[in-house]
Amino acid sequence: MRQWRSIAREAVAQVSIVVKFLSFLHVTDSYLFSFTHVLGPSMLPTLNINGDVVLVEHLSHRIGKVGAGDLVLVRSPLDPRKTLTKRILAVEGDKVTFCLDPPRDPTRDYRSRSLVVPKGHVWIQGDNWYASTDSRHFGPVPYGLIQGKVFLRVWPPNSFGSLGQ
Amino acid sequence: MGEWSSFISIVRNLSLLYVTHKYVGTAAITYGPSMLPTLNITGNVLLVERISIRTGKLRPGDVVILRSPQTPRKIICKRLIGMEGDQVTYVVDPKNSDRCKTIVVPKGHVWVEGDYIYDSKDSRNFGAVPYGLLEGRAFWTLLPRKDFGSLAPKPKS
Repeated sequence: MRQWRSIAREAVAQVSIVVKFLSFLHVTDSYLFSFTHVLGPSMLPTLNINGDVVLVEHLSHRIGKVGAGDLVLVRSPLDPRKTLTKRILAVEGDKVTFCLDPPRDPTRDYRSRSLVVPKGHVWIQGDNWYASTDSRHFGPVPYGLIQGKVFLRVWPPNSFGSLGQ
Repeated sequence: MGEWSSFISIVRNLSLLYVTHKYVGTAAITYGPSMLPTLNITGNVLLVERISIRTGKLRPGDVVILRSPQTPRKIICKRLIGMEGDQVTYVVDPKNSDRCKTIVVPKGHVWVEGDYIYDSKDSRNFGAVPYGLLEGRAFWTLLPRKDFGSLAPKPKS
């Protein structure tokens, strides 16, 4: 009986060390940097269609230093389980003029529209306007949905480097 | 060597606390008039759990805390009235008129309202909020002691 108890005590001690270490890794991951695999056509030519691994930092959006021109990871307002990678084109208070790409319904008008981004929101768009579902479709998104800022691409290795404007 | 290992263990314990706070549950202090009579104007301490948000097991009638869509640093506490696809009828401006409006909550969004609609800035002002802004579900009141217990379902007007 005493043998089992000491084994159990040792097992709990070891597991708690592992759990605490994993928690520490997770804190670093969500507050500092993380590697994210992004794919899809909406950010061509900046990001590849088949997928890139990018380094994302999670500090800037917490201190409000994310602005127009930044590539960000943002939680989709249409499906909360999906994370999108888009560029911020305008922040609250800016005026945005945009054209919807030719609509699938030919009777609908194809004209440009303007609006002012409301308080606490940002306007996001993919670099590839023809194949991107973004703020032109679902409107400005609240700043609180931004998860991090993309600043470095690490894979594929021939295009290693910072992602600019 | 001794100080270093105790520092490491403090960091690890804090990280574990942080992970619990982020993924399991936490406490929240609320104040303001928008959730009268369920919550006090001067402040309540609520127990908030984050598991229902992640598994999607929220139901209309739950009291939730969420990030404000207008002020991203602020966390606000309201009651969930409608999930995506639900039809919601609400009084637009109860202080001045009885006019009602009915809308359908869009995909990926939820409709939240305060219990005290005369003094509450909620979805009637800023529209349906994306589900991704929800932070947790409040299920238990810790303080003040006379309100200790689970949160009341919405009082019928």
